[in-house]
Amino acid sequence: MPREPLLRLEAIDKSFPGVHALDHVDFDLYEGETHILLGENGAGKSTLVKILSGSLPKDSGRIILRGSEVEITSSYHARSLGIGMVYQELSLIPSLSVAENIFLGRLPRRRLFFVNWPGIYKKAQQILKKLNLNIDPTVLVKSLSLAEQQLVEIAKVLSLNEQILLLDEPTSALSEEERQRLFNLVNELREGGISIIYISHRLSEVLLVGQRVTVLRDGKKIATLPVNEADEDTIIRMMVGRELKEQFPKEETSPGKPILKVQDLEVKGALHHPNFTLHEGEIVGIFGLLGAGCTTLVRALFGLQKTDSGKIYINGRRVTISSPEEAIGLGLGYLTRDRKDGLIHPMSVVSNITLASLKRISQLGLLKHRKEQRVGEKYVNELRIHPPDLTRKLMYLSGGNQQKVAVSKWLCSGSKILIFDEPTRGIDVGTKSEIFQIFNQLTKEKVGILMISSELPEILAMADRIFAMRRGTFTAEYRRGETTQEKLLKSAS
Amino acid sequence: MREQRKKSSPIKNNPENGTSLAVPARISLMNQWVSMGGEVIRKILLKGGPIVAFLFLITYLTFAAPYFFTVSNGLNITRQSSMVAILAIGQTMVIIGAGIDLSVGAVLALSASMSAVAVSYWGLNLAVGILLGLGTGALMGFINGVIIAKGRIPDFVATLAMMMTARGIALILTQGLPVPSHFTALKLVGYLPAGLIWLGSGDVLGVPVPALIIVAITILGWMILTHTTLGRAIYAVGGNSEAARISGISFVRTKIFTYTIMGLLAAVAGIVVTGRLNSANALMAEGTELQSIASVVIGGTNLFGGEGGVVGSLIGAFIMGTMGNGLNLLNVSAFVQRVIMGLIIIGVVVFDQWRRRRFAV
Repeated sequence: MPREPLLRLEAIDKSFPGVHALDHVDFDLYEGETHILLGENGAGKSTLVKILSGSLPKDSGRIILRGSEVEITSSYHARSLGIGMVYQELSLIPSLSVAENIFLGRLPRRRLFFVNWPGIYKKAQQILKKLNLNIDPTVLVKSLSLAEQQLVEIAKVLSLNEQILLLDEPTSALSEEERQRLFNLVNELREGGISIIYISHRLSEVLLVGQRVTVLRDGKKIATLPVNEADEDTIIRMMVGRELKEQFPKEETSPGKPILKVQDLEVKGALHHPNFTLHEGEIVGIFGLLGAGCTTLVRALFGLQKTDSGKIYINGRRVTISSPEEAIGLGLGYLTRDRKDGLIHPMSVVSNITLASLKRISQLGLLKHRKEQRVGEKYVNELRIHPPDLTRKLMYLSGGNQQKVAVSKWLCSGSKILIFDEPTRGIDVGTKSEIFQIFNQLTKEKVGILMISSELPEILAMADRIFAMRRGTFTAEYRRGETTQEKLLKSAS
Repeated sequence: MREQRKKSSPIKNNPENGTSLAVPARISLMNQWVSMGGEVIRKILLKGGPIVAFLFLITYLTFAAPYFFTVSNGLNITRQSSMVAILAIGQTMVIIGAGIDLSVGAVLALSASMSAVAVSYWGLNLAVGILLGLGTGALMGFINGVIIAKGRIPDFVATLAMMMTARGIALILTQGLPVPSHFTALKLVGYLPAGLIWLGSGDVLGVPVPALIIVAITILGWMILTHTTLGRAIYAVGGNSEAARISGISFVRTKIFTYTIMGLLAAVAGIVVTGRLNSANALMAEGTELQSIASVVIGGTNLFGGEGGVVGSLIGAFIMGTMGNGLNLLNVSAFVQRVIMGLIIIGVVVFDQWRRRRFAV
């Protein structure tokens, strides 16, 4: 028997200049359900929830909440209507403590304007405990890992006791274990009567948390189905709208000479002799849980992390790398785990793409704009960066498209050794395979790729050799096809 | 979009600004208006804010002050604005690189004093005197850059210290007196040569030399920012210095280059002013550092770095110059002028922020 939905959106329309972000989208949410919003990067998912959370005005359409029409004018207004939002990009203030962040804007007061500090810490502790989080509420947010920050972000919104929760790709920064914890939490909340809109592009999450799925593509609603009808193939077809190529199009290559050799690298307390060699045309995968030292290792290779001892050889020659500039000069490229660290937000898409290859698009310090344009167009087309507008400022792209720009930057840099820390983070299925196609092309051109990933299927499929990493050292090495998800996970934990 | 802007600068990110319930009607009206006027209005409002303000100002003053819209007054404004305009071009680069240079006025005075002392007390020839002045400016800028980039000292602090130091050196050099002057212990060899005066007061076919210098420097600044790898590096460092570093852009080199150019341009401005006033002194151009920063901000460059351009700053400098001239013609007292200038700067920046949020893509 159809109940009246708690929230109903009718023909929501939103345009940005040049992009029809939402094209008369209908959507509804019942009490106590988790409704999953799926779609490729730039399909309009984030725009829809931003309209709901009051941070973007809609152009037309009606929002009906609890049977009456509302105009949501600000995020404050949304909150007062019982709608809470967890953003995809973190919105915490790094220099404040966890507790302060959770209660930001509504710090409990004692008398007049004195803040009740013991009270805050106690309350924050309770909230964190409810989520099974082992985080000290007095520490500064900047000292937490990305995943912990994401969890604090969620804790912050949960502490508001909202009736409707909007989660925008909450798991993109989380490890397998933390993701599981979050799913449990989402399910508990739902059973407690909270309604949730959950944005994702990971199909595997659909069954675990959702009751219904709505697929968006290019700003249009394609369909809404209950999860039991939403098998992976159907959904992918709806999301992509075209025949999907093979997801991991790995092509065999025969590795050539060693190009990068790392020996006895040591960073006290973080890295203990993870020895390996990378060959021309080879993809080496490193898999480790959070804090295993994968990122420390690659930062050390790129001159961003001081090492206490150890040797690095490039093309057989011993080198010392003390800055990214030197690393790039030696033919290295590094895609950071957090894309914010690698991109210039107020700069145009094309300038971001060519940022690490300025030498190649200039002569005597003068830029060759036409050449730059061509390079930019090539990557925008190949990776289907959306919208395909080279001059658009990067900050106006959706998260997944920003990631594509970050990847493009290193693809076009001409580096011979590419280090990719989570190359597909936030990127949709369709584009993942494009990126891996380019990996293949690169390995044919004798580029060596070092790939760190927490996505087990992709590392198993794409890497020629895989190292499992734990506590700053390698615990196992497998050739391609020699191991399984379970085995790899076990060697890493 | 607003949300993204907010998040890129968490400091400004005050989650709620207590919007009242009256807003939705206004917003939707605004949207209608924007979509009706379409792309054109949006483009003008997005890119041409300063130009629109400038045209408004000129139109108003033309009707309000009888002598405003005349050729001679136009040339007058150009000469008066030249100093701040030249400084503003350099300041634009500094600010796009997420820096700020408070020492420009002092460096200007020091460089100008150096040139004037060299020709009128030391008896050096004009070209050498000018080169000495330019070299002094560039050196001071270079020192700023080195202290900021190598010493990792905030731009504000380093250039504040330079502001005091450069003024001090200028005072020592000129013994606190205008140059040239008969009262110094140094022997006066000659007055300022005609060539130097021509740079500030002369004209070519009726066009004031300072105007030509401004045009040349604006083109140079525009070229650097849009057509060189250095310019790209300045935007990158200003937009996100960590990301720039990871992309292989040298923070140190970029900063040093930017501040050296700034110092050099301060010296150019100093020579132009000396030529116009027929004299240099250690306390000249006080407060111009703030005027140049105001011009840049009025011109639409983001004070937090990463965005902006020189043309806006040039217009910004002319808005300031025209305003001063117009208020004089309207017989507004100098005291009241300051108040009005302050209010105008705030007004322009508030408008600028609003149009950015409202009309950004």
